[in-house]
Amino acid sequence: MPINKKLSNLGRTPKILVLGSGGLSIGQAGEFDYSGTQAVKALREENIDVIVVNPNIATVQTNPQPGVTVYLYPVEPHWVEKIIEKERPDGIVAGFGGQTALNCMIALHDQGILEKYGVINCGTSVATLKLTEDRDLFAKRMREIDIPIPPSFAATTLNEAKAAADNIGFPVIVRAAYALGGLGSGFAANHAELESLVVPALATSPQVLVEKSLKGWKEVEYEVMRDCEGNIITICNMENFDPLGIHTGDSIVVCPSQTLSDDEYQILRNAAQKIVSSFEIVGECNVQYTLDPKSHEFYVIEINARLSRSSALASKASGYPIAYVAAKVVLGFDLLELINPVTGVTYAYYEPALDYVTIKVPRWDLQKFKGASRQLGSTMKSVGEIMSIGRSFQEALQKAVRMVTENGQGISGYKNEVMQEDELCQQLKNPTDTRLYNVIQAFRVGWDIEKIHKLTDIDRWFLAKIREITIMETTIANLAQGPLVTLSDDAFIEASLKKLTPQSLRQIKILGFSDEQITNLLLKTKDLRLQQKPQTENTTVLPTQNLSERRVQNASLIVRKLRKSLGITPVIKKIDTTAGEYPSPSNYLYMSYLGLYHDPMVDDFKPPALVLGSGAYRIGTSVEFDWCSVSCSQKLVREGWRSIILNCNPETVSTDYNSSDRLYFDEMTLERILDICDFERPKGVVVCMGGQLPNKLAKPLAATGIRLLGHSPQTIDLAEDRSKFSALLDQLGIDQPRWIEARNDHEISEFIEKVGFPVLVRPSYVLSGAAMRVAYDKGSLDEFLAAAGDVSLDHPVVISEFILGAREIEVDGVARDGEILTAVVSEHVENAGVHSGDATLVVPPQKLYMETVRRVRGAAKLIAQGIKLNGPFNIQFLAKHNQIKVIECNARAARSFPFVSKVIGLNLADVSTDVMIGRPPHLTRTSQEDLPHVGVKAPMFSFTRLSGADPVLGVEMASTGEVGCIGPSFDEALLLSLEAAKCKRPKKGILVSAGPEYEKMKFLESAAYFKEIGLPLYATDGTAKFLALHGIDAIPLAWPGQGPDDALEVIKKGKVDLVINVPKALEHQELTRGALIRRTAVQFGCSLITNMEATNAFVQAIGRNPDFTRDHQVMPLPPYA
Amino acid sequence: MPLQNSSKTRRKCVLEISDGSQYEGDLIGAPLTSGGELVFTTGMVGYSEALTDPSYFGQILVFAYPLIGNYGIPSIPPSLSLPIPRGIESNKIHTAAVILTIDSEEAFHWNSFQSLDQWLKDQGVPGIVGLDTRHIIHQIRQSPGLLAKILPEAPVGTRRLGNLPLPQNDGFFDPSKYEVVSQVSTPSRLRLGKGKKRIGIIDCGVKWNIIRQLIEHDCEVELVPWNENLADMDCNGWLISNGPGDPMMTGNLRQEVSRLLDQDRPILGICLGHQILALASGAQTTRMTYGHRSHNQPVYQVGTRTGYMTSQNHGYVVDEATLKPGWVPWFRNANDQTNEGIRHVEKPFRSVQFHPEAAGGPRESGWIISEFVAEVTCQ
Ligand SMILES: Nc1ncnc2c1ncn2[C@@H]1O[C@H](COP(=O)(O)OP(=O)(O)O)[C@@H](O)[C@H]1O
Ligand SMILES: Nc1ncnc2c1ncn2[C@@H]1O[C@H](COP(=O)(O)OP(=O)(O)O)[C@@H](O)[C@H]1O
Ligand SMILES: [Mg+2]
Ligand SMILES: [Mg+2]
Repeated sequence: MPINKKLSNLGRTPKILVLGSGGLSIGQAGEFDYSGTQAVKALREENIDVIVVNPNIATVQTNPQPGVTVYLYPVEPHWVEKIIEKERPDGIVAGFGGQTALNCMIALHDQGILEKYGVINCGTSVATLKLTEDRDLFAKRMREIDIPIPPSFAATTLNEAKAAADNIGFPVIVRAAYALGGLGSGFAANHAELESLVVPALATSPQVLVEKSLKGWKEVEYEVMRDCEGNIITICNMENFDPLGIHTGDSIVVCPSQTLSDDEYQILRNAAQKIVSSFEIVGECNVQYTLDPKSHEFYVIEINARLSRSSALASKASGYPIAYVAAKVVLGFDLLELINPVTGVTYAYYEPALDYVTIKVPRWDLQKFKGASRQLGSTMKSVGEIMSIGRSFQEALQKAVRMVTENGQGISGYKNEVMQEDELCQQLKNPTDTRLYNVIQAFRVGWDIEKIHKLTDIDRWFLAKIREITIMETTIANLAQGPLVTLSDDAFIEASLKKLTPQSLRQIKILGFSDEQITNLLLKTKDLRLQQKPQTENTTVLPTQNLSERRVQNASLIVRKLRKSLGITPVIKKIDTTAGEYPSPSNYLYMSYLGLYHDPMVDDFKPPALVLGSGAYRIGTSVEFDWCSVSCSQKLVREGWRSIILNCNPETVSTDYNSSDRLYFDEMTLERILDICDFERPKGVVVCMGGQLPNKLAKPLAATGIRLLGHSPQTIDLAEDRSKFSALLDQLGIDQPRWIEARNDHEISEFIEKVGFPVLVRPSYVLSGAAMRVAYDKGSLDEFLAAAGDVSLDHPVVISEFILGAREIEVDGVARDGEILTAVVSEHVENAGVHSGDATLVVPPQKLYMETVRRVRGAAKLIAQGIKLNGPFNIQFLAKHNQIKVIECNARAARSFPFVSKVIGLNLADVSTDVMIGRPPHLTRTSQEDLPHVGVKAPMFSFTRLSGADPVLGVEMASTGEVGCIGPSFDEALLLSLEAAKCKRPKKGILVSAGPEYEKMKFLESAAYFKEIGLPLYATDGTAKFLALHGIDAIPLAWPGQGPDDALEVIKKGKVDLVINVPKALEHQELTRGALIRRTAVQFGCSLITNMEATNAFVQAIGRNPDFTRDHQVMPLPPYA
Repeated sequence: MPLQNSSKTRRKCVLEISDGSQYEGDLIGAPLTSGGELVFTTGMVGYSEALTDPSYFGQILVFAYPLIGNYGIPSIPPSLSLPIPRGIESNKIHTAAVILTIDSEEAFHWNSFQSLDQWLKDQGVPGIVGLDTRHIIHQIRQSPGLLAKILPEAPVGTRRLGNLPLPQNDGFFDPSKYEVVSQVSTPSRLRLGKGKKRIGIIDCGVKWNIIRQLIEHDCEVELVPWNENLADMDCNGWLISNGPGDPMMTGNLRQEVSRLLDQDRPILGICLGHQILALASGAQTTRMTYGHRSHNQPVYQVGTRTGYMTSQNHGYVVDEATLKPGWVPWFRNANDQTNEGIRHVEKPFRSVQFHPEAAGGPRESGWIISEFVAEVTCQ
């Protein structure tokens, strides 16, 4: 009998436990914030009490709300058991929390915990989950129901893997079971490569599959949903632009498929139904195929019987709310009885019809990880993604490039260094994260479709569409050959475009060119002619230097004016899942030039406000800013405003159909925001919730007369402009680290003469690599400056004194007209030098002097008045011997807002929204000192996926996610959040390698606790000698490669499961011995700590709580005050 | 101003609709004027199957999906012979014209023989690209039964639809006024395939995939013209095929079929065939306000919770209230509860409004044809 029927006659409100996915990491990111939140919403609608277990404090899913009890705990069986024991839920839902929730669910089942407490599994059975995750059992089942699968053998040991490879024949691909995002997978052309893949994979996964490599075939995915009655729908299919061999998560993905005939579409659709029925899946399932580009032959690659990154993309591409419907289906409702909430007319048993094309492009941040290989392959490396919607392939592709580069100039703004022939061949054959631009580059230097197809295996249809774009680029650039180069930019552009008929200007817009792109192409040609470079008639070699964003942005307004005067403007089209066949009240919108009429819109007569989202997730901008945008939008709705969200990230809650009154799923560029404002006439635009991207647009928007809600443009400029803000601090008598903006070597050496090393170096223009570094001596300073390009008049470098051993403090709050309404002080565990985004944050502060906190609040008050803050703000301080210095002020919501809000029980985004719409804010009376708990936020890293990167923390952010837990004491909150961040409590042994002398001294504070922990302690020889001097005996180990049992062997043999390694200097030295230890620890699943303050906090917390897991009483997150 | 996407310069072409609206696009295909009923389909794939589906005879087909022609057109045999190549449902285009947003001028699919534009030219069929098809579909939904004309710059003639007369003083051509089935049915009997069971197909514009599937179930097939006298036919079972137009405009076919109801040989009706079987059984059909024109119509088997995704293209529907005793509803549409299939409680007579043979669209209701063949016994 379906679960919902059982639940409905319990005689009381049923209670369901929902497992979350934990902190975001590469391969398991924001999509589970979206699907997890939808699951809770769907269950609440059936008036079911929901228990959420998820340590990701920044997700909307862990918002305290009526009927939802949130446990910020690691999604691990031992913690979930304690929560089940306390809450006694009737059912458990595990299909909405990625691989973490899935593996936890399987463990709970195998340990008999579900049976012991009578908890019903809502969704696909554990037996089926095992079948789909175990690569060998899966292959056997495919053969049974005669669905073709590539020749493959499972292996649990290296020898079995070797035998399998010999049987199949190289090249092969190795893939791990119970993993996602291609973790532990890779291609092997010979036994040596095979071994280097299999050994680490078997350290973290019970089994690997060795399979014939079909690199170069097409890769196609189907999103399928099945209910308990066996009804199956295919929500949509998706075709990878990049062929098989590049992970789907790192591929450009087009939905719906563009080059599959009806036969191929239906053959794969039938196979998906057969597979899903044979496994008796209940809920959502992603089926992944590879299709021969020369025939109907296909193989199934894998299936994911849970919500996934692809289902989040499919949901936003098709408009079908997959997670919402899946949550009802796992409860036992069938698709024929569920209404599709987007149309309100059709039922959930429906396959969306699209009348547009969507393109997903991944976002990589590989340049931030020195040494990380930028090669794309079967393991995922992207940190986020965007999706574009258009009614032509070119419109969608060009929009997608502007969304992912966050630059209105799109492909024309991309630095197109003309490479030599062989280098370009190399880039196309072995793709990196610049693969798309290399294809465009190849077309620009005249290569044809056939040549590029042979090197990349990309389908010729896609290449033909790209070629049409590069041809038009040349046409536009040639328009600028005529007019006088002495004209002003505006006059020059107007003269160039005058020669175009309205029809051909419309065609340029239909091919997806933005006004800024047209401006870029015209002004580049103008500047080139100014330098009198000889122009041969046919091959217009596009000039290489790119123009400043501001110059292009301003000049593009002329293109806009001319275009609008000719009546060439985009139209608003709806995503309604019916391609217009049924009328639908959908409010899910995009803009396109392939239309002449807006879709009919219903006016709700409410004052509109446009909330700008955060765009693609990347290092530094993640789910926290989406939480702020969603809170702001939902608050606007509650206060009777029409909330309009603009965003282009398919993984987010903000791009869900019911997070706002109207959702524009479109590019975050000046042009598109002005287009939306032309139609919606908002009372104001909210730029302070989405993080850096919308904040950067504040100035140009205000310049065109658009009203900003919250901080005034002047305030935002004061906070952003380093010299203006520094002058203000001097005026207010607030101290700041000494700094200069040096324009030549002399000024640099003069400043260092004054302040001495170490110094923090920030070049204004960074070619590649870290944008900011600490220089300890002349040598490292010169090395970094050389990498950052020549210091000159228009490329100054900012140098500031680097304060060693300072505490770092943050103030998050909301002000109105210069008066602070509420402010929360939080403290970093790590001293200054670890970026605030990678630091462990504590609220309320534990180790600050009262005097320091008093001075920090006083300074914040002065700054708020000084720059007339009017909305959310974040100020960062350094403190040493009670002296405080300001290092940064952000006139916008900060990434710590959701953490701080949930810990103190007041949603700062809501308070900011009250200020923005002029309402009296609702504030809490409890001050942060009387809170009944302590909150600790810990960063999540993805170093396992970035082979070659040195997993060490520095002044530039490297974390890809965060977790936050609360506890009655700092120790308990810290232990919980570090465990949730995969820094598990050691059980086997600890290896310590503390670099500099002063770090070794700090380590002594924890020495007494090691006896408590009672585990074998290993140390590299320098540290071992030091510890022996202080009465701590540690087993000395040779440095890597200098002895039989060196530090690496100890890790590889699994003798230690915690490595404490503090690097010599805060510098990134790739091949130093320490880096080798750190990378091996990460690769073999050891917990790694590279900061001494964090080490002391962790070791002491373990020492003081020996049986923490047994003794700790689980406590839920209290509701908002 | 057309939404021109192609780099080639193309002739202008105007679409004139019977509600007075006019749009200018670019001409593709043959420079001929044409007229017909304005209909649309939201199918994202299967354009070559749709254009060669006789059920669209005399209709101007608007594609909701903005990119059509991506995988080209397969090579098409001059006439029907085994084995029947995939990707097409008859050997010529039956629509009066086609309306798109963008046509794909080059195709690279391994099975592509020529581009859509080239094929339309060979077939003498005009088309318009560069129109806001989503807006036109809103218009069609607002007032059903719209007619339209295709007026290219300097046309060289008019697209003839079979031997139907051209509309007088260039009015709008309305296919539903004619027995359009006559234009698409086989002129004479035709036997195909070898097999123990012989199925007589009453050809009202049969889609080739129905023939392919019967052949695959190793039946022998005999195509019979729509107005043939069925009395002296010896076959083991009857299939009344799909076809264009109003089920009431099919001559005396429903009388012929009602005679078949007196004996016991299994009968399966598909789409128009379903409507004709219903009329033959004494029930009535009515014209729908919107019609079903897509590859994603959800139907469910009456009395069960089992649904099927089906592909459909029809403007008329069987009125369940007028079913005679012994006949019961078999399937219904999950969204608007209209009838999607009827069956006789005892006799092996049944029919479905949707296309179990698919081609284009979902194939999960294909069991209906296999069950029909299973029920056929060879005397
Ligand atoms: N047999 C194969 N040959 C070549 N590439 C493959 C093969 N199997 C998988 N891949 C590539 O590896 C990627 C990851 O494999 P997959 O099974 O999807 O792992 P995950 O479960 O991590 O998504 C796929 O997206 C595909 O590009
Ligand atoms: N003068 C300084 N002395 C010591 N540490 C500093 C100094 N300035 C910045 N830092 C460290 O570098 C980190 C990043 O610097 P910040 O100015 O906040 O850059 P961002 O704009 O990326 O936030 C800070 O969180 C702090 O830990
Ligand atoms: Mg996969
Ligand atoms: Mg900072």
